[in-house]
Amino acid sequence: MNGETDPLADTGRPRGYDLEIRDLKKRAVEMGEWAFAMFRDGWRAFNTGNLAAAQTVLDRDTELDRLDEDMEHAAIAFLVLRQPTAGDLRTATGLLKITTHLDRIGRLGFDMARITTSGPGKEPNDLRDVLQRMDSATEVMVREALDALGKDRTDLARDLFRKDDEIDHLHRQANRIILRELRGKSSDTARLAGDLLVARHFERIADNACKVAEKTIYALTGQRRSEYLPRHAFKPYVLEPAPTGGESPSD
Amino acid sequence: MSLPTRAAHRTFVFDRHARRKLFSHGIAVLSGLTVIAVLYPLVSIVYEAFALGGSVIFQPGFLTSVPPNACSSLSCNTVGIGPDVQGTLIVVAMAAGISIPVGVMAAIFASEYRAKGVGRAISFTADVLTGVPSIICGAFVYGYFVVYYPQIAYSFYTGSFALSAIMIPIIVRTTEEALRVVPNATREAALALGISKWKATLRIVLVAALPGVATGVLLAIMRASGEAAPLLFTLLGSNIWFQGFNKEGAAMPLLIYFFALSPYPNQVKVAWGATLFLLSLILIVNVVSRLLIHRMRVRMGGV
Amino acid sequence: MNPIKLRTEHLTAFYGEKPAISEVKLDFPERAVSAIIGPSGCGKSTLIRCLNRMHETVARARVEGQVLLDNEDIYQLDPVRVRRRIGMVFQKPNPFVTMSIYNNVSAALRFNGRPSREETDRTVVRSLQQAALWDEVKDRVDAPAVSLSGGQQQRLCIARALAAEPEVLLMDEPCSALDPIATAKIEELVGKLKDEYTVVIVTHNMQQAARVADYTAFMYLGKLIEFGPTEELFERPKDTLTEAYITGRFG
Repeated sequence: MNGETDPLADTGRPRGYDLEIRDLKKRAVEMGEWAFAMFRDGWRAFNTGNLAAAQTVLDRDTELDRLDEDMEHAAIAFLVLRQPTAGDLRTATGLLKITTHLDRIGRLGFDMARITTSGPGKEPNDLRDVLQRMDSATEVMVREALDALGKDRTDLARDLFRKDDEIDHLHRQANRIILRELRGKSSDTARLAGDLLVARHFERIADNACKVAEKTIYALTGQRRSEYLPRHAFKPYVLEPAPTGGESPSD
Repeated sequence: MSLPTRAAHRTFVFDRHARRKLFSHGIAVLSGLTVIAVLYPLVSIVYEAFALGGSVIFQPGFLTSVPPNACSSLSCNTVGIGPDVQGTLIVVAMAAGISIPVGVMAAIFASEYRAKGVGRAISFTADVLTGVPSIICGAFVYGYFVVYYPQIAYSFYTGSFALSAIMIPIIVRTTEEALRVVPNATREAALALGISKWKATLRIVLVAALPGVATGVLLAIMRASGEAAPLLFTLLGSNIWFQGFNKEGAAMPLLIYFFALSPYPNQVKVAWGATLFLLSLILIVNVVSRLLIHRMRVRMGGV
Repeated sequence: MNPIKLRTEHLTAFYGEKPAISEVKLDFPERAVSAIIGPSGCGKSTLIRCLNRMHETVARARVEGQVLLDNEDIYQLDPVRVRRRIGMVFQKPNPFVTMSIYNNVSAALRFNGRPSREETDRTVVRSLQQAALWDEVKDRVDAPAVSLSGGQQQRLCIARALAAEPEVLLMDEPCSALDPIATAKIEELVGKLKDEYTVVIVTHNMQQAARVADYTAFMYLGKLIEFGPTEELFERPKDTLTEAYITGRFG
């Protein structure tokens, strides 16, 4: 710059400001990890029918609330005191919204623990398989969303949206199998009802993970979803039972 | 063992404190003495003038008669200075008529159109000229006008030129100063309203500077009314009433000069009377003008 | 965006040999408020003073380029006429101290022609109303201008500028010498002025620019860095330098 001091190198800003932004980020990531753990443990508890494990998840609910509230306070204080603009403003408002979605993810893990019944379930193999795949896919999505948030990685964030389609597809498959089983005679209907809910929970968790990614991209670049993703045309789909192929597990 | 130390401490502080007070009072006294020293000449002049001229000034006809001739007897005439008062008023008025417009215009040029180097030249020249001895002003006018324009050789014209040579630099300097005191914000405000520069200068800036300009003009007039040297070889002096602008004339400083050196006591007395009169006139004009200028300032918004 | 009222082309201004602003190209839309922000020494005051030809009144000042009012280059016109069409309000309130309130407001009229007493009265009342000062001074219009408070004096200067019926009003940091309440009054006033006038305001207070201006220009070291709708500039600035400035990293 013609020998003049590069203005970007000379940080004239009070250190507190930068620390506050970093703190907001840290809180969001901390809450995300907490919610992620609730999700993993909630699913495991339901899947293996472990009531004790389910209880621990249920007890973590208050901490989730506290993290959410503290985050809200910190973000509002930052907005009022620092009157941020541009990137800092987007970060603050983006993080506020992100924590809402992280809260949802934690809550959905909580819901999974809530419907845990004793002992592993007796659903058909193909259903179990589908749910397993939903689980791994969703886990990866949430993990990537949290990484994108914590490390400012828009590339990881953009990756997520593809995976969402996969989850939708698996969700539909799960519903079809369950419908088939419900029409059949020898089924563990209680367990099937649980599986139906859980499949939906996975879909919701994936959706919230996408929202986290969306807001992360907004905070970092200012782009809104409509600027980089084509609009999905949704239509109601007709639910038909899946073809037979699954068997109850032998025990 | 704190008692002795405390006492010693107290004395020490007392000394320092007392010394400071003593010093402060000493300076105050010294200032008072210098004021007295400065005022003493002025007071003694006034006193002398009163003592020696007081008896003469209040005679009837002092201001309406011509100066007396030389006279050695004891009952000589000691009136009057009529033509000299008349002459002073005329020549000073003429000089003011030249100096005020020229001086104010030059000052405006120097101050408002400063960018051109001429402005700075005017300012500098005026500064230098205020220090020129008044007799040289008279000599200059003599050397140029009296010698080359015989029709006005010794006249009110050349007399007023000589006084102008003294007044103009004073007016230029004080007016320039008064203009400088007007904040630049005023000029900018006027220009930004779409008022042309000359209108802004004359009708806003100059008006704002008016008290200062008036004070400067007053100063110049008082200085000019008391000068004898420049009139010595221009107006020349006379003992008779006004004969015409192109003729010689009388003036109070000239009368004082000539009559003070006179061997005739009656004329010397008249000189003292004239001194007292001139002094009083200057004093009164001074006081009245300053009052009016003060009123002007107040009316203009207490600037 | 409204049609462009005032624009600059390759505007460069010098003090002696040094350019204070260089190659500035700006378009100010009519009946809108445009703000110019930037750190000290960025040239924003110089720029605004070029817009009504006040810059050249300073010794050794020089301008290159064009400033077009309704597509006419003001540097080819009579400067006195230009300044009647483009008015200015300064940083420190500068009423004519020797004049009354009435005479201050009517100055532009009285010095440029001799309108009737009724016409002058009407203009004075209207201008004082537009400047939101009429109610406070209506029973003492003949009082000296210096008897008003700082905020009132500045509104008086605004009324005085408006009385000349300009098309554009330039304001050079009009609130920096005022307290917050006076500032708020003037900001509100500016919001109303844009119904009739094109306003260009220089401010060092970014929140003020955000509150008051439809468009904002950011200048740095004599160059125009960015110009756009205020919302965009403050939420998603295009230039990293702009972002660094408005988030307080320098300046």
